[in-house]
Amino acid sequence: MTWHLPADLVERYARGRLDPAQVMSVESHLAGCPRCRAAVPYEEGWLAASWERIEDLVDMPRPRAAARVLRRLGVPEHVATFLAATPALARGWLVAVTGVLAFAVAAAHLGAHGGPDKANALLPFLVAAPILPVAGIAMAYGRHVDPAYELQAATPMAGWRALLLRTLAVLCCAVGLTGAATPLLPAPPGLAVAWLLPSLALTAAALALSTRFAPPFSVAVLAAAWFGAVAAGPLLADDRLLAFSPGAQALYGAAALALVPLVYLRRGRLDPGDPR
Amino acid sequence: MTTPTTPPTSAPATATVTVRDLTKRYGRKMVLDGVTLEFGRGVTGLLGPNGAGKTTLLRCLATTLAPDGGEVRALGLDPSDPGRRTDLRRRLGYLPQSPGFYPHFTVFELVEYVAILKELTDRRRRHQEVRRVLRETDLADLAGTKVRKLSGGMRQRLALSQALLGDPGLLILDEPTVGLDPEQRMRFRALVSRLGESRTVLLSTHQTEDVAALCERVIVMRDGAAVFQGTPGDLAATAAGRVWLSDHPPAGEGLFWRTADGRYRTLGPRPSSGVPADPGVEDGYLLLLGEGAGEPPGGLPGGLPGGPADGSAGTPAGASGGASGRASGGRENT
Repeated sequence: MTWHLPADLVERYARGRLDPAQVMSVESHLAGCPRCRAAVPYEEGWLAASWERIEDLVDMPRPRAAARVLRRLGVPEHVATFLAATPALARGWLVAVTGVLAFAVAAAHLGAHGGPDKANALLPFLVAAPILPVAGIAMAYGRHVDPAYELQAATPMAGWRALLLRTLAVLCCAVGLTGAATPLLPAPPGLAVAWLLPSLALTAAALALSTRFAPPFSVAVLAAAWFGAVAAGPLLADDRLLAFSPGAQALYGAAALALVPLVYLRRGRLDPGDPR
Repeated sequence: MTTPTTPPTSAPATATVTVRDLTKRYGRKMVLDGVTLEFGRGVTGLLGPNGAGKTTLLRCLATTLAPDGGEVRALGLDPSDPGRRTDLRRRLGYLPQSPGFYPHFTVFELVEYVAILKELTDRRRRHQEVRRVLRETDLADLAGTKVRKLSGGMRQRLALSQALLGDPGLLILDEPTVGLDPEQRMRFRALVSRLGESRTVLLSTHQTEDVAALCERVIVMRDGAAVFQGTPGDLAATAAGRVWLSDHPPAGEGLFWRTADGRYRTLGPRPSSGVPADPGVEDGYLLLLGEGAGEPPGGLPGGLPGGPADGSAGTPAGASGGASGRASGGRENT
């Protein structure tokens, strides 16, 4: 290079006071002249931040769909990233939940058109809906369901913080989907939402039992108990919807309220490093 | 109950991890049977055959498994206390024996995910830390690659990189050199020895050459108990006077193998025409396990057929007096 940029031109370039044609000319020269490049002043912090932004663009994939949804809902970025990795929030689980709800809604419509007892037609939906969040909990966190569990178990987030966060996400997701399906049912609103309190009670019970046993085992026990409770209705009172009666609803509500503080008190037992 | 055959020979100057009478049982099987040990800053190697309880011990130290009994103090913290356990996890890096990953994640995403679990909530600081550990493990160029596309060695480096997040004061590495090629292993040794200058590193391995090259202290486990603690030199010294080189295979019982120069290296009683050889870490280790298995000195280690406990029958390391190469295995006729 036989010539170099005058100092005043370099200074005006650095301050952004050149017109576009001059900028192109200067940058064309800078590209081939190390000496002039070295003469251009720059702010180290700005340059480092710029490189980081470029590296982010190169390294960082687009946030996952679940993370994007959570962030739109106001969830902090790091929590959304953590929750998006929840196995139970994977596409397969969401498709399965949607499929179960769709079949249950279809069964309710078929039953309502085919027989005189519309309430009984809701039974498949009301029985299946409370199981969905607890099934998600079984798949949310644990040695046998999460491939990265062993990596997580030695971190400060391990145990109750991770399990409760993921449970909350799974519960919100399952309740949201079920709630969206509820208006599609051919039933009065009061009966159609009879799944909600059992869902909350079973979720709280699943967490409470998980302080003693592994989550999948706890959920299996509760699912069996739930199906047993529903099946007991016709046997005890000749009422197939006994498990969804107002009296039963009060019981579910009370159980949920009682179990939440119990889970909080025993949350330390959800830690893999805690002796059970 | 297994009685340690070799008492601790020397204690670390300042212990950062102490374990007292640690027990753990899986069903009827006692996996840790009163383990007592201590080690301090620097790199400590944990040797032992399969089933000796190494991984269970590491998981107890890494707080991913609760022991049935005994005491652990790591970095001055008691992990049986929930609050102290969380504090310890903040200062802990753990590479499990079989680390699982989310295969659809990229390398960067996976490490960032663990960084979030390690409470690095500030995005910019977290990204800087992720890039730092990826550079440390030579994975920076693979940051955007899906985990499912990585080779075994790359996955091992990925697992190591997440363990380095947050500059932990205690690093627990369970068989970290598995799957690494020789060049990667050399780089790994350089990295771990550098890390050991300022922190406590516990390294479980089957490779006695890793111990000889890296570790300031070595602990040998057998049948759920720590049967030796000391320096690699101490372990090698336990084989003094029981390592021999001869031109012909020994006639009696004993562990021997054919070395690269065509001579026979024998552990145990002196074979006819045998000349003394300098003992190495592997010699001491094999003899220690052989004694524990009820074999005469020089008998088969750990009850394993045909050779050393790591299954590399007759492939002794350079640490054992430079012997290497073809193996005919101990007790060639069995």
